[in-house]
Amino acid sequence: MYHINKILAIAIMIMLTGCSIGGEKKIKIFSVEEPRQKLNYPMPTALQLEELKWIIITSENAQEVFKKLEEAGIDPVLFGITDKDYQVLARNFAQIRQKLQETNNLLEEYKKYYEPEEKQ
Amino acid sequence: MFSTIKMAIAVMLITGIAGAGIYVMKLRSDNAILKANQDKLETAITEQNKVLEQQKKDFTAILESNKKLNVLINTFKKDLQDLDKRFTKKNRDIGKLAISRTEAIERIINKGGKNAARCIELASGAEHTEAELKATLKSEINPECPSLANPNYVPYQ
Repeated sequence: MYHINKILAIAIMIMLTGCSIGGEKKIKIFSVEEPRQKLNYPMPTALQLEELKWIIITSENAQEVFKKLEEAGIDPVLFGITDKDYQVLARNFAQIRQKLQETNNLLEEYKKYYEPEEKQ
Repeated sequence: MFSTIKMAIAVMLITGIAGAGIYVMKLRSDNAILKANQDKLETAITEQNKVLEQQKKDFTAILESNKKLNVLINTFKKDLQDLDKRFTKKNRDIGKLAISRTEAIERIINKGGKNAARCIELASGAEHTEAELKATLKSEINPECPSLANPNYVPYQ
């Protein structure tokens, strides 16, 4: 009887503490950062401008210029601007070119910053 | 009576041993948690250091990029001033010049127009020609946009 009591006491203790010995395994959750896909647009195609010819017409050479145009089979008509307006036109074109360059440059800088080339 | 005391001592002993066992297990579990915490803290510190390093790199890249754009904008201003100068240098009047030297001015204007068109092509991303890259003399450059067309040209002082 004495032995049975001892065994019973030990068995009860093991039963009470048994659950805390092994226990369930913990679930581990990993978060892996997936990098955003690169946009990878090609840079805009460069312009290829057509050549145009300026003709200077003065009161002295006007007749000669129109005659040459007719001889070359070109309509004898000219769209003219004054010398001052020519300067304005040159300035305007310079500004358009600069804006184009600035925009392209910004685009390159953004690309370089946000989509740096992978190191080999 | 004697057997009851023995029984009580046996129960106390067993309880004591079991308690000690449980305590050791708790200590081991605490130790494992502390070790895991330590690992996490170390990882966090390493990641923070990486973030700080990346931030430093980003700041440097931003500064460099700003500097580049400022240089570019200053070049634009200078190019426009140079263009104005070409029309008005030494009280030059291009209209009067065109009357007196019509053919020469027509030639100059057509050449200038061609150069300006090339500048627009380059600004839109066209590749430089070898001649443009090699140009180091004033006679070889595109005077409409030397900073863009001829990167190796250093203006005379």
